[in-house]
Amino acid sequence: MALPPLLRTTTFRLTLLFLALFAGAGAAFLGYIYLMTAGEVTRLADGAITKEIRTLDAIYAKGGVEALRGAMAERTAIDQPFLYLLLDKTGRRIWGTIPNAPVGQSDERNIVWTRFSVAQSWDGAPREARLARGERQRLSGGEILFVGSDVGNAETYVLKIVRGLWGAGFLVVFLGLGGGILVSRNVTRSVSGLNAVVGAVQGGDLRARVRPQGNGDEFDALAGGLNDMLDRLERSIGGLRHAGDAIAHDLRSPLTRLRTRLEVAMLDVEAGRSDPKAALAQALEDADGVLRTFNAVLAISRLQAAGAAPDQTLFDPSQLAADVAELYQPVCEDKGLDFRAELAGGLTARGNREFLAQAVANILDNAVKYTPEGGAVMLRVRRRSSGEVEFSVTDTGLGVPEAERGRVVERFVRLENSRNQPGAGLGLPLVAAVAQAHGGRLELDEGPGRVGEMGPGLRVAVVLPRVGQDG
Amino acid sequence: MRILIVEDDAEAGAAMVRGLTEAGNAVVHAADGAEGLKTAEAGGFDVLVVDRMMPRLDGLSLVETLRRQGDQTPVLFLSALGEIEDRVTGLKAGGDDYLVKPYAFAELIARVEALARRRETGSVQTTLRVGELEMDLIGRTVRREGREIDLQPREFQLLEFLMRHAGQSVTRTMLLEKVWEYHFDPQTNVIDVHISRLRAKIDKGFEHPMLQTVRGAGYRLDT
Repeated sequence: MALPPLLRTTTFRLTLLFLALFAGAGAAFLGYIYLMTAGEVTRLADGAITKEIRTLDAIYAKGGVEALRGAMAERTAIDQPFLYLLLDKTGRRIWGTIPNAPVGQSDERNIVWTRFSVAQSWDGAPREARLARGERQRLSGGEILFVGSDVGNAETYVLKIVRGLWGAGFLVVFLGLGGGILVSRNVTRSVSGLNAVVGAVQGGDLRARVRPQGNGDEFDALAGGLNDMLDRLERSIGGLRHAGDAIAHDLRSPLTRLRTRLEVAMLDVEAGRSDPKAALAQALEDADGVLRTFNAVLAISRLQAAGAAPDQTLFDPSQLAADVAELYQPVCEDKGLDFRAELAGGLTARGNREFLAQAVANILDNAVKYTPEGGAVMLRVRRRSSGEVEFSVTDTGLGVPEAERGRVVERFVRLENSRNQPGAGLGLPLVAAVAQAHGGRLELDEGPGRVGEMGPGLRVAVVLPRVGQDG
Repeated sequence: MRILIVEDDAEAGAAMVRGLTEAGNAVVHAADGAEGLKTAEAGGFDVLVVDRMMPRLDGLSLVETLRRQGDQTPVLFLSALGEIEDRVTGLKAGGDDYLVKPYAFAELIARVEALARRRETGSVQTTLRVGELEMDLIGRTVRREGREIDLQPREFQLLEFLMRHAGQSVTRTMLLEKVWEYHFDPQTNVIDVHISRLRAKIDKGFEHPMLQTVRGAGYRLDT
């Protein structure tokens, strides 16, 4: 069955269900009240009538029909009179305030309860049929006495209550439905905002965002979550796109160089100026260089795009540094460098060991390359007062002028005095990418200062965030 | 050695067949995973060289199937996927070594030979002997012609690896991966320096050098 869209919403259905439950409970409650009220009115009237008949019966027993007539006439004058009718043995009317008996006279039983209508005029108002209750009793002389009571007022009061209850019921249903529709429309509007964004994203528009209503409800929370998710997704896809562009850009120059060399080598070989084998060996070496560059650029780009390094575990940073130091110590000694390691014990860091080992290796490699013979290199692992774990390498080489420090972490940037050293300018950028992928950072400072021919040196530090108590 | 190459790239496959044949091996080439599995199941190979990404049956599934059947032939995975997690996946699937494309022939041959050799030494050894060189794996001592040689722990591991692969070329990358367990490429040739330290200890003062440098490939320990 096709309902209007609004009526098909979950919220509206829930409203209807709630309304039905509420109306059911209300009806049961009101029904109980009605039964109690209406029953009480009848009981009160009946009690009064029975008492009156007993009184009149006593008067009749003492003074006969005449006394009874007098008593009835007398009692008619009081405020809330009963209705009286006295018939003789044959059923003829002797005296009464109502014209005829509301029940047949053939009935021989003494007491008969009945409901009847009575036409009466009050204060000259038009005659109206009113509801009454009455009791009939055959007196000991054979006369029939009928005493009734006008319960019209009480009945009307009960009827009014009933009508009021119906009205209240309608009001509840009406307000409930109206409120349900309003709430549904509100919720539908919130959800349709979300749906529109999901649709836009499905259509490929990653920039679509939900505008929160600003009331801080769960829909706003959902919208915020969706927006955060889209932000991350957009950044990561943007990162990948950027990585692709960067790789294409970064590889163009080495490939161009390789191609040029091959072309020159071919010309040389054709002219007999060069040995083909040597040219091919040179080409192979160049190709390997391009591959190394490619691998480094890819590693940096992947780390940047992923945001966080994969396979992070808890490890002892000093142990990691000791292993890398062991790898580089002979190189330092061969170059005549004073190499020392100061590794604090009992530290814990979290990260990808392979990437961090490579980062420490890259920093050490740079220090070894750029520190002249007779210099010193110091590898240090310590915990900062902030709880961060720091790997640092300090050398006594030429250092990097302060103005250039921001630049050397960019890809392919090689400073003037380093151009005669091997390398592609990807060492520090990789270290920076590794540090960032661990939520840490790379810091460059001046070394120990100028001492004679040496210095001022460089201090490179990879700072990893502190590991929380939860691991 | 009998080697099966499972590689869907025809040119790369042909180049590998040529390179490994010239190194003195009998080489069979399967052009996709399904064919490779059938050929491998027939048995008789010393080493399988398996590309990871192939049509019909990928390299991982091929090796997993073989291992389930109880085939323990050493497997060298070839892959353009060089990330750490890719390597771990490959080794978990039952691969014994992992080589990232593109690679040098020398690297491929050295690794294939290392895998084939590993199979021959099945039993647990307590001593290694290469010519005059003797290594006690339990006492952690090394002697040449009976003279004790004092080695640092890492030098001991390095020599152990070279002795286990005596007569074969081992590349710098292999040493870095198997002895130091690093999978990155240090810019400086740190391995060369470690080798020359080791060479100074085991060859200095002896008549003929045992630790050879193989041009374009790496190093080799010879009797």
